Amino acid sequence: MRPLLSLSHYNCVQARVSGSVVNNAVTAVAGRTSSTLARNKLLDSLLRISTRSAAIVVLVMLTGVILSLVDGALPALKTFGFSFIHTQSWNPVTEKFGAAAPVYGTIVTSLIAMLIGVPISIGIAIFITELCPPRLKRPISTAIELLAGIPSIIYGIWGLFVLAPLLQKYVQPLLIGAFENVPVLSSLFAGPPYGIGILTASLILSIMVLPFITSITRDVFETVPPMLKESAYGLGCTTWEVVRHVVLPFTKTGVIGGVMLGLGRALGETMAVTFVIGNAHRISHSLLAPGTTISASIANEFTEADGELYTSSLIALGLILFVITFIVLAGARLLLLRMKRAEGH
Amino acid sequence: MNDSSMTLYKRRRRRNQAAMVLSCGAAGAGMVALVWILATLVLKGASGVSLAVFTQMTPPPGSSGGLLNAIFGSLIQTLVATLIGTPVGILAGTYMAEYGRNNGLTSVVRFINDVLLSAPSIVVGLFVYEIMVQPMGHFSAWAGCVALSILVLPVVVRTTEDMLLLVPDSLREAASALGAPRWLVIQKVCYRAARAGLITGTLLAIARISGETAPLLFTSLNNQFWSVNMNAPMANLPVVIFQFALSPYEDWQQLAWVGALLITVAVLSLNIIARTLSSPRASDR
Amino acid sequence: MQTRPNVELTKTVLTEPVAETLQEKVSVRNLNFYYGDYKALKSISLPLYDRKVTAFIGPSGCGKSTLLRILNRMYDLYPGQRAEGEVLLDGKNILDPKTDLNLLRARIGMVFQKPTPFPMSIYDNIAFGIRLYEKVPKSEMNDRVEDALKRTALWDEVKDKLHASGLGLSGGQQQRLCIARSVAVRPQVLLLDEPTSALDPISTAKIEELIYQLKVDYTIAIVTHNMQQAARAADFSAFMYLGELIEFGTTDQVFTKPRESRTEDYITGRFG
Repeated sequence: MRPLLSLSHYNCVQARVSGSVVNNAVTAVAGRTSSTLARNKLLDSLLRISTRSAAIVVLVMLTGVILSLVDGALPALKTFGFSFIHTQSWNPVTEKFGAAAPVYGTIVTSLIAMLIGVPISIGIAIFITELCPPRLKRPISTAIELLAGIPSIIYGIWGLFVLAPLLQKYVQPLLIGAFENVPVLSSLFAGPPYGIGILTASLILSIMVLPFITSITRDVFETVPPMLKESAYGLGCTTWEVVRHVVLPFTKTGVIGGVMLGLGRALGETMAVTFVIGNAHRISHSLLAPGTTISASIANEFTEADGELYTSSLIALGLILFVITFIVLAGARLLLLRMKRAEGH
Repeated sequence: MNDSSMTLYKRRRRRNQAAMVLSCGAAGAGMVALVWILATLVLKGASGVSLAVFTQMTPPPGSSGGLLNAIFGSLIQTLVATLIGTPVGILAGTYMAEYGRNNGLTSVVRFINDVLLSAPSIVVGLFVYEIMVQPMGHFSAWAGCVALSILVLPVVVRTTEDMLLLVPDSLREAASALGAPRWLVIQKVCYRAARAGLITGTLLAIARISGETAPLLFTSLNNQFWSVNMNAPMANLPVVIFQFALSPYEDWQQLAWVGALLITVAVLSLNIIARTLSSPRASDR
Repeated sequence: MQTRPNVELTKTVLTEPVAETLQEKVSVRNLNFYYGDYKALKSISLPLYDRKVTAFIGPSGCGKSTLLRILNRMYDLYPGQRAEGEVLLDGKNILDPKTDLNLLRARIGMVFQKPTPFPMSIYDNIAFGIRLYEKVPKSEMNDRVEDALKRTALWDEVKDKLHASGLGLSGGQQQRLCIARSVAVRPQVLLLDEPTSALDPISTAKIEELIYQLKVDYTIAIVTHNMQQAARAADFSAFMYLGELIEFGTTDQVFTKPRESRTEDYITGRFG
């Protein structure tokens, strides 16, 4: 990934900085007695120790998150054992809990979001790097990145009040009608059009992951040496062929890293999904039916959960979510790191 | 060029045109999404903005009111979270860029930090619930602040390291060659040279947490009334929006839109300010 | 200068009744080029003769690479760059906005300063370009790939690893692969933009040898910094300075009896 910021601001402060350094250093030299030396030594080690501790805090934080989740999830895991993962029932009254429905919902919504979001993101990245007139490049990049800045709750409220009714009224009946007699698809798009449900959540997620995938894809596209692209154009390739046969293979690792980063976001996204998923603890064949995700279940039920087992089951869900996203995000980071290293050579 | 190669070429050209149209379409779709969301916010939110929003408390259903306690709660919790998270983040970033460059601890911390950067925020909420809310026995604004500060941390660590690494070593060497001790070099040279970047990082971190809802749901919870007690549940905009938007009451929904507009304006302004700060030359282009 | 290996050939050019045997493959006429507001080329006119090697020489920034990149309209990729005047390829103006750039570039191949193998296997690097314009059965494709690699004297070195990545070859091999890739498309003109600037002397010699063999079939334009290279490899030379064409003639004439003092100064190393 590229640094969050650019170097350009640096030059303007350089002049100011060097002036003050000289003054300070001169003072330091002029007054160099044993006491200032001792003081400097003390301050040096103080800064070193405090920065080091702060770095360790980051590590402790991760360990703490894992330990506390495991600790909180223990009662549920002890009671239900491994069957927790594949049990579908979620019944606070009988205190029978299983993670199957939310895990299914989390994975399915994220995958559909990727299915829709990835091609669009790559399309936007192609547009920005290959097609866009230079004047529009920056505004469009900024606009796409602003999408990333919009808080997820905004996506949620927009999805609930704008997108869901629209889908319910126009799109879903169309889908149901169109696939009525197609073997597999008819069960995927079955049932009454609720508006809210798995599909709506997936759509919202796909909009939310756009900026992440787009900005990484665009950045890695820009690492392709112009000469390499020119050689392909020089053979008579069309723009699409250059992208398809040169740019994409050249940036494969980085693009996959970006996609996985987007996937990590989609898996863990809470508020936007909670608004539009319908919160039903069941696995339905139809994408139009309401469902739930791990994060939506926790957000909806945690404060109202009474009884240790209920709370613990929700924390166990959180643990599962953390493990899944950790694997995906760690994989993404490793790929992006590898890409960066390959570039360095 | 013979005929067969022209047919082949025509097909390739059609495919190229199709791909390019799709690519433009994708960019268009992205723009439409942004404009659509912002337009909805303005249309639904702006009509509800009034003085009462900033002077009255969140109302019970069916009566009029404002968002004062939620706005105040959001401001104070964001502020405190930034005050906790930023110093730690800057120190950790300093270690990675200045003291521990390329050592094992730095690589591990960088990796973990990058993972934390995009880890699900609701898990952070659960974590803070476990370590603060449960032991204390009640929800509190402090817990909310801690949860938000955990989200601030990785953003600041990341930008601090990036920015300090951009400061050329020659500058450090020049300062050291004058006899300046390490702490002075870092403080007077590196931090100053990277100042705009550090501020930008902090702004981005603030922008990130001011819209966060999930980690507050079961840490600072919500409070219908005015409260300045950090040891008690405290209202905040995102949770109020969540609660009001999902309610069946129209005046609550209206307030939710107003809140959503306020948050978005704040967050996007922060983002734009951060962007402008980080690239002063952008405007010359 | 006396050490040129292809003296004989240049002599033929000189001694035979020149005008009849030489055909203009490409004619540049009164060409101006702009990077935004900056005028990089000033009314250039020169011919590229069919199946001859023409070298563009001159100090850095004189516009020789720019001129080369106009011949296949590579500059079109970048907004703000434009050309005025005429560049005729077999009598047709390629600067005409209606020119199809992909077809044009398939007819005019280009090789760059640094080797640019595509991120695919050696075999596919060559087959890729062929597949763009021809539907070739597998066996014929194998022959075409082999032929292209043989022409560039690469076949013996890579025949056992055709399906390994092109990125695994040495710099010199990669550059010959790139030439093979261009040749495989069967262009009419080859543009070489300092093709040996990133290579060691041995690889450079191989490439020069290659150029000598390729001109039997292709019209070649080469940009080079290296005076000896121009003298060794080119039949004609164009000396450029600050965006202007100072002198054009047979390499022999330009190097031994330059008409312009600036050309002489540059060739003898007094500046540049």
